[in-house]
Amino acid sequence: MSVLIDASSRVAIYGIAGNFGRFSARDLVLSGTQVVAGVAPGRDSREVEGVPVFQDARTACSSTGANAAIVFVPAPAALDAVLEVIEAGCKVIVYPGDGLPVQDAIELRAAARRSGAVLIGPNTPGVISPGAAKLGFMPTSCYTPGPLGVISRSGSLSYEVAWRLTTAGLGQTTVIGIGGDPVKGLNAADAIELLHADAETQAIMYLGEIGGSDEYAVARYAQRANAKPTAALIVGAAAPPGKKMGHAAALVGSAADTQAAKVEALRNAGVHVAHNLPDVVRAAEDALRQCEAIIS
Amino acid sequence: MLMTEHAGKRLLACHGVSVPSGALIRKSPQVQKWKGRYPIALKVQVAAGGRGKAGGVVRVDDAEGAEASARDLFARDFGGERPESVLIEPWVEHTRELYLAVTIDGESGGYVVLYAPAGGVDVEHHAPHKYAFGSARDFRAHELRALLGPVEQDRALRERIIALARRLAFIAGVADALTVEINPVAVLPDGKLLALDAKIVRDESAAFRQADLAQEIERARKREPRMVQRALAGNLMMVGLDGDVGLISGGAGMTMAGMDMIADAGLVPACFLDCSSNPTPTGYQLAFDVLDSEPHVKAILVSIFGGGTQIDRVARVMSEIMSQRKSRKPVVFRMNGTGAEKADVAMREAGLYNHPTLESAIDAVVTAVRTA
Repeated sequence: MSVLIDASSRVAIYGIAGNFGRFSARDLVLSGTQVVAGVAPGRDSREVEGVPVFQDARTACSSTGANAAIVFVPAPAALDAVLEVIEAGCKVIVYPGDGLPVQDAIELRAAARRSGAVLIGPNTPGVISPGAAKLGFMPTSCYTPGPLGVISRSGSLSYEVAWRLTTAGLGQTTVIGIGGDPVKGLNAADAIELLHADAETQAIMYLGEIGGSDEYAVARYAQRANAKPTAALIVGAAAPPGKKMGHAAALVGSAADTQAAKVEALRNAGVHVAHNLPDVVRAAEDALRQCEAIIS
Repeated sequence: MLMTEHAGKRLLACHGVSVPSGALIRKSPQVQKWKGRYPIALKVQVAAGGRGKAGGVVRVDDAEGAEASARDLFARDFGGERPESVLIEPWVEHTRELYLAVTIDGESGGYVVLYAPAGGVDVEHHAPHKYAFGSARDFRAHELRALLGPVEQDRALRERIIALARRLAFIAGVADALTVEINPVAVLPDGKLLALDAKIVRDESAAFRQADLAQEIERARKREPRMVQRALAGNLMMVGLDGDVGLISGGAGMTMAGMDMIADAGLVPACFLDCSSNPTPTGYQLAFDVLDSEPHVKAILVSIFGGGTQIDRVARVMSEIMSQRKSRKPVVFRMNGTGAEKADVAMREAGLYNHPTLESAIDAVVTAVRTA
């Protein structure tokens, strides 16, 4: 089992005719994902990398049965493109771009929920269920199937951690990049419910950073009586206050935004918190060991 | 991007919110041109919080004392910042102070109204009442009224607060603001409300549809150190720090994780430098140019884990840059991700070593800095 996507997912790539769209088409096919349609409004392409290309999302979905989409358009065009994909009937949508105005993120989150769809992003590499499907551009070789559900605010950090987990023999059910923006289609509280409900996910690994409140949602989850064992890594201990660290939401404005405050809240909630990146496998192993203790 | 109080109040006034009629001065003698009544408030225009407690707001009772007070404010730092301007406003007598804000809330995925019946400098000690309404145009007065009913017994005042909150929600929408906070809102003797302060933070991502915001961002960039200015102009995300290890990385989380590991090893990072928004030969060349020209940078760590950024391409760019590079500062590489196998080959062919783990790369950086 996995969450959000599986081997039956039929993927459309919006913006397939651009350089990154073409790369993604090749990359997704290599990962074993069913890429059934491309959308490229205003472009002449009929086919890219063997995938049929359409002028609009509705025709693409009705002609091919696409039910999931990844959208490669710049931020000023994202509101319209993602609304189009939602209204075409896709139920899982990834918008990886950064620099999306927060008001547009609010509108897209609400539109997706009204349609019973899930938007992942903005500012994310997407989602992968190793061995089953991928809706994103993370390096496939770093992932392997297994018992851990992973949630990450940062793309690159999730690759590094997945590579460490995989190298240590700790596989993943689904790795969800929720993104580094203040308002997300799927936030940590939403993502953790999906993993909580997934029978194959035995433990949860959360990768967070300074700023925002997602880490506190994870801490609240971990305090539930039936919570799955949870591990975490929070980066940004060395970040100075008042400066935005790349991600729109990664900024220490108040005491609650700091790495130290978040680590304390998570530890108090019983989360296995890694001291730093090299300690992340140990934290995941502790969480999985806690699963075995619960079962036996 | 945080607006100054003065700019924020002008935006509020444009949309019909009552603010004191003030004047902005950039040099202390200009205070003599004030034609309004006394007493006045002199308020330094700085970004740092806690201005009131730091003595950045002073009351002046007559024209005689005004210039000396202004001179004193211009000569001091507030949160590490020297004020470029001071706002003069008539001192306002009021019966009560409230806290009212419209701001972004990640948990509910939209805007919220925050209201506290007692505003002022210590407002953060009490959790405010919260009304989550989603997008700016989904504000509903009756929903806020239901929330404030048990909190505010004075019905006339409650209606004024709701009307002001509606106005702040509208301003957040049209200005692409992440926060529109008024602390305090003064309740005047006649019961009307007046915004005594304004903290408005605008969404920099919306600059493509807010021309004045784009100009403001450009002006703020010019105030950054030269090294940061160059990086930002080349679409690299950079924050200057004081240390000796230059870090060229990709992705916010991976860059912060690298900074943390550098700090754990007893060294201090020289920067947060995230090249993921311009992972091109020009972008990486600029990153090296910036760090090579900084005397305090003793060694450079290249730490990139690529997904959409194909690492074999990055490796070829790195070998090209290294073959042309004049600086003798040691460079340590650790690159992994999409195309990693081909990247290792490209690095070996160029006579460069790609560390297999970040741990071994950091060890090499420690050695390089200690022997530099």
